Amino acid sequence: MIIKTKFFAYFRDVFDGRERDVDIGDGRTVRDALDVLCDSPGRRAEIFAGTDLKPHLVIMVNGIHIQSLHGLETELKAGDTLTVFPFLGGG
Amino acid sequence: MSGFPIPGFHGRVLEIDLTTGTILRKPLDPQLALDYLGGRGLGARILYDTIDPACDPLGPENAFVIAASPLIGTNAPTAGRGHMVFKSPLTGVIGTSNSGGTWGAAFKATGFDVLVVKGAASEPVMVDIAPGRVEILPAGHVWGMSTHETNDVLAAASEPGSPVRVLCIGPAGENLVRLAAVANDRNRVYGRCGPGAVWGSKKLKAVRVRGKEKIAVADKEKYQAGLDQALYLMRQVPATKRLLRELGTAGLVELINLISMLPHRNFRDCLHRDEDVERISGETLTKTLLEKAGSCFLCPIGCQRHTKVAGRDGGEQTGEGPEYETMVLMGPVCDIYDMAAVTRANYRCNELGIDTISYGGTVACAMELFELGLLTKEDTGGLDLSFGNGAALEALVPLMAFRRGIGDRLAEGSYRLAASVGRPGLSMTVKKLEIPGYDPRASFTQALGYMTSPTGACHLRGGYAVSLAFFGGTKEIPRFSLLQSPIAIRNMQNTGILQDCLGVCRFTGYAFSSDPWARMVSGVTGRDFSVAKLEEIGNRVATLERLFNIEAGATAGDDSLPPRFADLPVIAEGRERRVSREDQDRMKQDYYRVRGWDGGGKPTAESLRALRIEARKK
Repeated sequence: MIIKTKFFAYFRDVFDGRERDVDIGDGRTVRDALDVLCDSPGRRAEIFAGTDLKPHLVIMVNGIHIQSLHGLETELKAGDTLTVFPFLGGG
Repeated sequence: MSGFPIPGFHGRVLEIDLTTGTILRKPLDPQLALDYLGGRGLGARILYDTIDPACDPLGPENAFVIAASPLIGTNAPTAGRGHMVFKSPLTGVIGTSNSGGTWGAAFKATGFDVLVVKGAASEPVMVDIAPGRVEILPAGHVWGMSTHETNDVLAAASEPGSPVRVLCIGPAGENLVRLAAVANDRNRVYGRCGPGAVWGSKKLKAVRVRGKEKIAVADKEKYQAGLDQALYLMRQVPATKRLLRELGTAGLVELINLISMLPHRNFRDCLHRDEDVERISGETLTKTLLEKAGSCFLCPIGCQRHTKVAGRDGGEQTGEGPEYETMVLMGPVCDIYDMAAVTRANYRCNELGIDTISYGGTVACAMELFELGLLTKEDTGGLDLSFGNGAALEALVPLMAFRRGIGDRLAEGSYRLAASVGRPGLSMTVKKLEIPGYDPRASFTQALGYMTSPTGACHLRGGYAVSLAFFGGTKEIPRFSLLQSPIAIRNMQNTGILQDCLGVCRFTGYAFSSDPWARMVSGVTGRDFSVAKLEEIGNRVATLERLFNIEAGATAGDDSLPPRFADLPVIAEGRERRVSREDQDRMKQDYYRVRGWDGGGKPTAESLRALRIEARKK
């Protein structure tokens, strides 16, 4: 299944770009997609703390925070947009 | 080091009456210090006891109070912010504003905790505070100068010795522009609510400070434990560790767009093309305009943007900014995605002394009125005020500061401008204060924050619900919960009050909330300032500010959003979102209840007793 991914701030360096389509194979969930994206220990360390997400990062599916959905177990459909960015404030 | 009973305070108030030229050194009431702590809280209490809240904000009967905190004078991170409280000439209710830089710490080093200035001089003056000496001096020679020139001239003219710091207004304040600011260190600005106009009405150009007084610390070990905890946490969180330094606050532009909260065209919608948003992003700013990041006093975060931009007519200009709010209000809210134009307008606002948020909001309102034919080229002196016109955005800054042509009408702020053509609903304000760069329809919590902020629509006094939208889009505190928003925003407002009372930066809040501050304040003062006690101070200050506003004439009806936000939906999280009048009323009633206020938003006698808020002295 192919999904769209978008990265912001330092995740653009971590994942070498701003956005791209990613084939997540048989994967179904956000966790599966992140497993595919984190194809090196360095990348994994920026997203996961053990099996949980690191704090201070936000992951959205089609513009909705995954915590408002089903967290890492949120199911994806082909063509969904997965967005990764760090928590950043300002103003 | 003073013998005041509470370490951390000097125990001295400096009260100046510019009408009579009287300079009084008064003792600080220790109970007030314990109950209101410093900064915004102590300032609000002293203002409440000094003026009649119903007074004319531009008359000599208004006053302003600047209060330090027990942490200022220590090495606590970011503890150097001055906080000013006054009756606002823009809103008619309480005005509070603060800034970073070094002036706040330099003021505390003069040996005073609090400065009160009332009355009005007949000729331009400045106040000079130096070791063992306080004077009111003529300031005709700097009247008319920009904030930068004033700062440089007055700093250079000071006697040598410990560093001298200048807090001053520019021409906008002198000309009573209702959104005029007060500035220190050239580009650090007390922006919101029009403090510059209050200074201008008093013919006060500047307050220059110099001193070396230190404060006592009661329990160094306890203070150090809190400090270590704070610094540790700030190193753990990407925002405080590196992101704000790398991207500046404008790093938020793309993210706020992602959650459909980035306002557009005087808040008509939140629709932007991604490539336009990229043109005004923090990343683009870093790549194209940034010379270096900078820090306020004692700040490890370093979000300042020292920038360079090509002039419209050639040459190069240098300055600071833009910050997120400036970028958004002068940018997409005016349908402008030209970062260079926004940056140049930002520089001019800093130099002439204008709040960039209210400036952008007022220009956007004027652009909508122009589009509707309610302002014509005849009114504007030929200036094309179409949405998207960056040249007009720049041209209007001096017109407003010097009240020339159409600038004279814009100098009144967007509410009075829109009301003058019979359409006050087209001013995107709450209590006549322009809404900052987060659309309230994209978060009910943010909407309620704007509605109930004591100063009018402000993300800093009303609560920064953006954090909830990010951290938070949790099931516990969703963005669109009518039920949870009142308690969530009360808690955020109280954290903000604590930070404002301590004179510390809001950005510490991304790393930690109250606990390290509780340890540090307890350590410095030797008194028990538990987290619960700090929470009580938050409730006390919020309720005191409410009393001030009620006596100033505000009602529950003023705790409302402009009609646009109830009538015109935006799309967020895949659905149409608006904040209906019924939803506003429901959240408001719940909020009043959790604050201990009655259905009309008036603090109950029981709450006043529980919070030990005494009646006004004056």
